Amino acid sequence: MAKTPEVAEPAKIRLALRGLREILLPRPEEKLSVDAASDASLAVFGPAPQTAAGKRGRDLVAFFQQVQLLEELGEADRKRLAQIAHERTYRDGEYIYEQGRPGVALFLLRSGIVEILRRRDGGDEILLATLEPPASFEELAAMGCDVVRWTSARARGPATVVALGRPDIDVLSRTTPVLANKLLRKLAEVTARRLQLLVEAQFLNRTEQGAKDAADPQSQRP
Amino acid sequence: MPPTRNPSALEVVVKALAVVAGAILGIYLLWRVRGLVVPVVVGGLLAYICGPLVAGLERYRITRGQAIGLLLLVFASAALGLASLIRAGAPTEIEVLDLKTRALRKVNDRYLRLMGLDSSPGGNRIYRLVHEDAALVMDRANRLLGMTPEERAKFARSHAGRNGRPTGPADAALLDDDRSNLETLERRGLAAADSERPETPRSEVPASPGTRERTPLRLLAGILSTWIVAPTVFFFLLRDTGEIKRSFMRLVPNRLFEPMLAVLEDLDRALGSYLRGVFLECCLLALALALLFAVLGIPVLWAVALAVVAGATNVIPYVGSAVALLLGLAYIVLAETVHPLLPMVTAENVALWLVGGILLVELLKNILIEPVVLGSAAKLHPLVVVLGVLGGGILFGLPGVLLAIPTITIVSAFASSASTQLKAYGLA
Repeated sequence: MAKTPEVAEPAKIRLALRGLREILLPRPEEKLSVDAASDASLAVFGPAPQTAAGKRGRDLVAFFQQVQLLEELGEADRKRLAQIAHERTYRDGEYIYEQGRPGVALFLLRSGIVEILRRRDGGDEILLATLEPPASFEELAAMGCDVVRWTSARARGPATVVALGRPDIDVLSRTTPVLANKLLRKLAEVTARRLQLLVEAQFLNRTEQGAKDAADPQSQRP
Repeated sequence: MPPTRNPSALEVVVKALAVVAGAILGIYLLWRVRGLVVPVVVGGLLAYICGPLVAGLERYRITRGQAIGLLLLVFASAALGLASLIRAGAPTEIEVLDLKTRALRKVNDRYLRLMGLDSSPGGNRIYRLVHEDAALVMDRANRLLGMTPEERAKFARSHAGRNGRPTGPADAALLDDDRSNLETLERRGLAAADSERPETPRSEVPASPGTRERTPLRLLAGILSTWIVAPTVFFFLLRDTGEIKRSFMRLVPNRLFEPMLAVLEDLDRALGSYLRGVFLECCLLALALALLFAVLGIPVLWAVALAVVAGATNVIPYVGSAVALLLGLAYIVLAETVHPLLPMVTAENVALWLVGGILLVELLKNILIEPVVLGSAAKLHPLVVVLGVLGGGILFGLPGVLLAIPTITIVSAFASSASTQLKAYGLA
């Protein structure tokens, strides 16, 4: 087992965003575990697809067609992407990446189950979400420089992931800029949509709950 | 989380021994096939340099195979064109004899002027100081540039008419040079010694047992059998679309996967910066040398040609300026006349101006060009450069000299990046 890595400080990353003066969204109370089906984790990692787990692409190009991130790409583009993809196999309990370490690749889950974990200050890990094929995760590592992982990913049972490294996507920008542009646009769209869903899940649901409480006949004034 | 088992001491020792044995075996095998290392590296470097060209052609909807074929066609045409230019410009046998005669006359005249022997039989202070060593050098130069009796006969036939008189003023000048050279040879006691030395026919020289005579054909076969690897490596590396990298990454353990991706990215950046920097540095040096040669009176075409050759040899540190100096001096010695553009530069002192100008260009290169162009891409300590170049030359000859600095750059970048990434991932 690898030694416990030092915990990164994602808050530093958030406060380093230019133009972001203040986050008005109240932080949720910390709980010992978060239900994987809760709104927040669904917003971050997307819903577990109902039918994708059953579909196993015979090859990498067919698998890419199932991935939401790459569904708009044509077959030639998927073939080009397959040339730079790395397929990795992990044992049960093996970490795919660890919290606090630099990230240089995004991952697409091809088979098996992956747990997304967050290590607390005390050292214990809480489960944020479980993913199944064809989920994608850690898209930010493929786009930005100096990305530090804010979670860990661990295989539950044997798992196979397909990794797209940031250096390979940079090379793609020079050799096939149109494909790289499509990919990066999609990555940005997915990242932005997740942030929107996270805000909706955290803020708007509380507002709706507050409105419901206010509309409760028992609390209304005559 | 399942509990992990700490490896026993025996397992650790066995693993360590296996790694050491594997490393020793790898080094031994590499040493045995060291003749192939340089062609493989050359082919790989050329593929790396040409990769962006192929990628650029692919953007115009040309397939990779077609792009590589087009590139090879361009290279072959350029090589054939260069070969025909060289063949067209190569001097004939009589032209070579003319050059040797003219060069030997000029070398002897300049030696006499430098040593003060033209004005006083005892020479000047320089002569009294170095005449013994200088005499050995001059004897060697005279032997090298002097003509054999057969060559002299051909020379005389081509420049003197049937009556033995020169057919034109140029022929007269050459015959005069030849007469002067003969006098110098007799004065130095070389002519008699050379004519008395018997020529040993090659066939009578007994070959030592167990050795094979190195004929040109055997030499060519030996070179081709080794260097055929270079174009093969070049072709297959260019054709590769990522399979080689993927195959290599499959061998990397999972916990080293992302660090290795980062290290390869750093290596790519370091090598690319180095190659771009060196190419730019060679171009700028060639430009500066071309201007210098032109100002000193060398015709523009010759100035550009000499500067391009000197600039190309600048891939080996410090060699570019040395080659420029040799080529410039050789031209000044061999040329009939030079017409400097500056009034203070004359035919008598042009060599000194050449030396000064090249020193200035070298200084500009070190102070201005290198820091700006190379930056921190391949900033190596001068001692490392000198030792690396010498070591490469001892191990692999000329290709080793050429590849020493890129090799040191890659190894240095790998060590630095690996150390950083292993620390960042908590593995060191």
